[in-house]
Amino acid sequence: MAAPPAPAEAYDAPRAVANKRDKSALLRAIRMALGIESDAIRRNTQTFNRNRYREAAALPDYEALKDEARAIKERAIGHLPDLLMTLETAIRARGGNFYLASTAADACRYILGVCQSHGAKLVVKGKSITSEEIRLNHTLEGAGIEVAESDLAEFILQVADEQPSHNVAPAMHYSTERISALFKRKFSTSEPLDTGEELTKFARGRLRQKFLKADVGFTGANLVAADTGTVMLVESEGNIRMSSLLPPVHISLAGVEKVIPAQSQMGVFLELLPLSFNGKLTSYISFLRPPLDDPPFALTGRPRKKREFHLVLIDNGRMKLRQDPVLQESLYCIRCSACMNCCANFQTVGGHAFGGETYCGGIGGAWEAGTGTLENARFSDLCTGCSRCVNNCPVRIDIPWLNEVLRDRLNRSSAGSPLASLLGIVSFVRGDDRRASAQKVFFANYHWYAKWGARTRAFANGVIRYGPARRLMESLVGVDVRREIPPFPAHPLVRAARNLPPLARAGKRAKVVLFPDVYTNYGLPQRGIATIKVLRALGVDVVVSDAIPEGRAALSQGMIATAKKHARHTADALLPYLDQGRDIIVIEPSALAMFRRDYRHLLADAARFDLLRTRTFDPVEYIARLSAKSGRPARDLFDLARSPVGSRLFVHSHCQQKTLGCAQPTEALLREIGFDVATSSVECCGMAGSFGYKKEYYEMSMAVGEDLFGQVRAAEAPDAGGARALVASGTSCTEQFHAGLGRPVLHPIELLAAILKL
Amino acid sequence: MATRDNTSLVDLFVARATEAAAKVERIGRAASEVRAAVARATEGLSSLVVADGDYLQSDIFSSLRTIPQVIPKPTDDQLATADAGITEAFAGVARSGSICVAMGPPLRSAASLLMPLHVALLPVERIVLRPRELFEQTGIGAEAMQRNIIFVTGPSATADMGPLVRGVHGPHRLHILVLE
Ligand code: SF4
Ligand code: SF4
Repeated sequence: MAAPPAPAEAYDAPRAVANKRDKSALLRAIRMALGIESDAIRRNTQTFNRNRYREAAALPDYEALKDEARAIKERAIGHLPDLLMTLETAIRARGGNFYLASTAADACRYILGVCQSHGAKLVVKGKSITSEEIRLNHTLEGAGIEVAESDLAEFILQVADEQPSHNVAPAMHYSTERISALFKRKFSTSEPLDTGEELTKFARGRLRQKFLKADVGFTGANLVAADTGTVMLVESEGNIRMSSLLPPVHISLAGVEKVIPAQSQMGVFLELLPLSFNGKLTSYISFLRPPLDDPPFALTGRPRKKREFHLVLIDNGRMKLRQDPVLQESLYCIRCSACMNCCANFQTVGGHAFGGETYCGGIGGAWEAGTGTLENARFSDLCTGCSRCVNNCPVRIDIPWLNEVLRDRLNRSSAGSPLASLLGIVSFVRGDDRRASAQKVFFANYHWYAKWGARTRAFANGVIRYGPARRLMESLVGVDVRREIPPFPAHPLVRAARNLPPLARAGKRAKVVLFPDVYTNYGLPQRGIATIKVLRALGVDVVVSDAIPEGRAALSQGMIATAKKHARHTADALLPYLDQGRDIIVIEPSALAMFRRDYRHLLADAARFDLLRTRTFDPVEYIARLSAKSGRPARDLFDLARSPVGSRLFVHSHCQQKTLGCAQPTEALLREIGFDVATSSVECCGMAGSFGYKKEYYEMSMAVGEDLFGQVRAAEAPDAGGARALVASGTSCTEQFHAGLGRPVLHPIELLAAILKL
Repeated sequence: MATRDNTSLVDLFVARATEAAAKVERIGRAASEVRAAVARATEGLSSLVVADGDYLQSDIFSSLRTIPQVIPKPTDDQLATADAGITEAFAGVARSGSICVAMGPPLRSAASLLMPLHVALLPVERIVLRPRELFEQTGIGAEAMQRNIIFVTGPSATADMGPLVRGVHGPHRLHILVLE
């Protein structure tokens, strides 16, 4: 899968591809990241991710804490102008200085002024991503002031001249070997520079002198309490403690969104913020109300000055963001990095590719757009909407929704193309949505091509297997030729269901309507047939609704008007079934997630959303519920001995299933029947709907998939008992398995249909 | 605050602080016993700094000052090069294995930060279960709200150079003496 290793010089420097207004920069950044950064990024993010899951699971009130944090942030952003006034009073009452900067240039000018008023020659700096946003180092160094980055990660970035690749561990894309090579190139020293210990010792030695001699200490702030002026500072190395304690002047810089009403509320964030990063409290978390009353510190020969403190808060677009009906939510962000560490795409390429000049990851798009321009958010195209970050965000930000809205705005701001307009017109795309790229218009309306593909099956199946036709498709709408398009079936699900034998027994137990999502209907109808068969055998009355696009495809391409139209039509079609007392069954997890999560944003009527949300189910989840309700154990219904694939399974749950909480019931049911179930622990297979089909993302998608393929191999190692049958519920996951392992995949419902006892 | 579950709270504290790479000992609080424990913890070191306490009886600190390596009135130059700092801890947090240091009194901040070894004296009755208790309006939280507080969990550490390395800018070792 990986390209042959190329020397680092063969790639663009991270800074050169930091701004992704131009899509080619995004593609070059992906190439660079896959080439030289990916291994370190994967190792680090996945370690953070595991640690967070472990500790969050051990915290009994994790969900309640998130609710509390969310409520505090909502209130804080809602009352921000008042809070800023209260804060200013609190800071001044203690003899500190308060400055509210409107722009990056304004903040830089103020900070430079403070430094110059003290004749500062050396500023020692703790980690502050906000200072990267305003390019503070550039201003200070331009004025002849030495800036010593004292966080070791920032120290590496300063030496390498790179932007952060992560909010909390900004140099996590560097392996020890690469740091060693960098330091050997940049420093002439007799000290050894090979191991992590040696590199740390070297950097510590250089920086110790800086702390003792600095004229100004500069830090960020993780939170600021308006009532007392208390600043929260989270770190592990001790450099922030030094920066705030040793120099006579302390400047702290933060975005205005870091202000919360009261110091007493900081305890919630103390428990949630470090946990959401790496599971545990970091070594040092300071709560300070500077200027400190500790005696000033001065080595012999240096003046002993009175302590001075400046809190600089910056707007730089945030107050405008606060007025944005959707992106406003991004201001709740406490920059914990959970959404990066749990994101399969981010784990593979990190923030140099999945990020802009300062901010990165799923939340980074809103931040870059808010503090820069909309075009700066172009990299958020790498958000596949897999939803894995949603439950991991400590302030419950709906990150994929922010990215869908950004994509929608980017589509609308582009000029469009004749091909996109044409495709849009024939497939009934809403007017403005046709301005997206032809590729996006194509994927958003796959249902339309699938319908016609099925109607002209012989011809269409010829086309999708005919090389020149596929190459034409690749060049016109960017569907990668290396991807298999599932052949159109002789009978889509809706038609095939009509041919099923009539009900053997009347459904008394429950009544459902099976919604034939486009992927099941036109791609894998056998999954629908299996669902009908099993449910009927369990005494459920099953009917099949019309096939209509539910809106996932349009939503994921950022065509929100079209997605809303699809959602409305789907709700209109399905609500009458609910009135008849039927629950809804949806097989494709990404379609299911529309009903359970995304319709919140797409349906105007909250009551309709609530009805759909609470009465729509994954088929296996539904069967597990039936079995539990009836008190009949699964072993009475299903017979392991009939399994056509043996008893050893490798089950990979779809990303949306994991978020919706219906992965666990499937795994549990299979185990109850007696299967030996190994499961994947990856966040996403890498295919993620249309993402992996897109020509420009094929390599990245396969690189993401490597983790999943590796887990299959490990679960099938001779000492792990050998081969297993692959089981997956998602259409995309199925295609990803085909591409990566070239093996057949069963949906769990197909397996259940094969082992029915009844 | 420590109540009838005191034993399990202290056990949890010891377990978690140890996991966080601190060294923890439980000792009595007689001045002579504390002195002996600190002398053992700092054996072989040549310069120590002792910061005054807020809560523990003052004879503990006067007896610590009789350890020969203690610098009686350290200059800032001496603070920058001393081997170990000895401070009182404001509180302990069982669930995270953290201690809190309240800043302010002379030498306290420096002694808990600048030296390679930090020895912290934690009165057992000041151990709470969770971090957020320090932000409650009653009990120990009410006192904490008035102070500049630092939660210290294990020695300073970094993974920025690849592997986890303990001992960066702050102390390389944290030794907690829980005084019963
Ligand atoms: S939705 Fe998925 S792809 Fe998007 S930011 Fe969240 S985890 Fe990453
Ligand atoms: S969006 Fe949420 S998960 Fe991501 S960094 Fe911000 S607070 Fe953390």
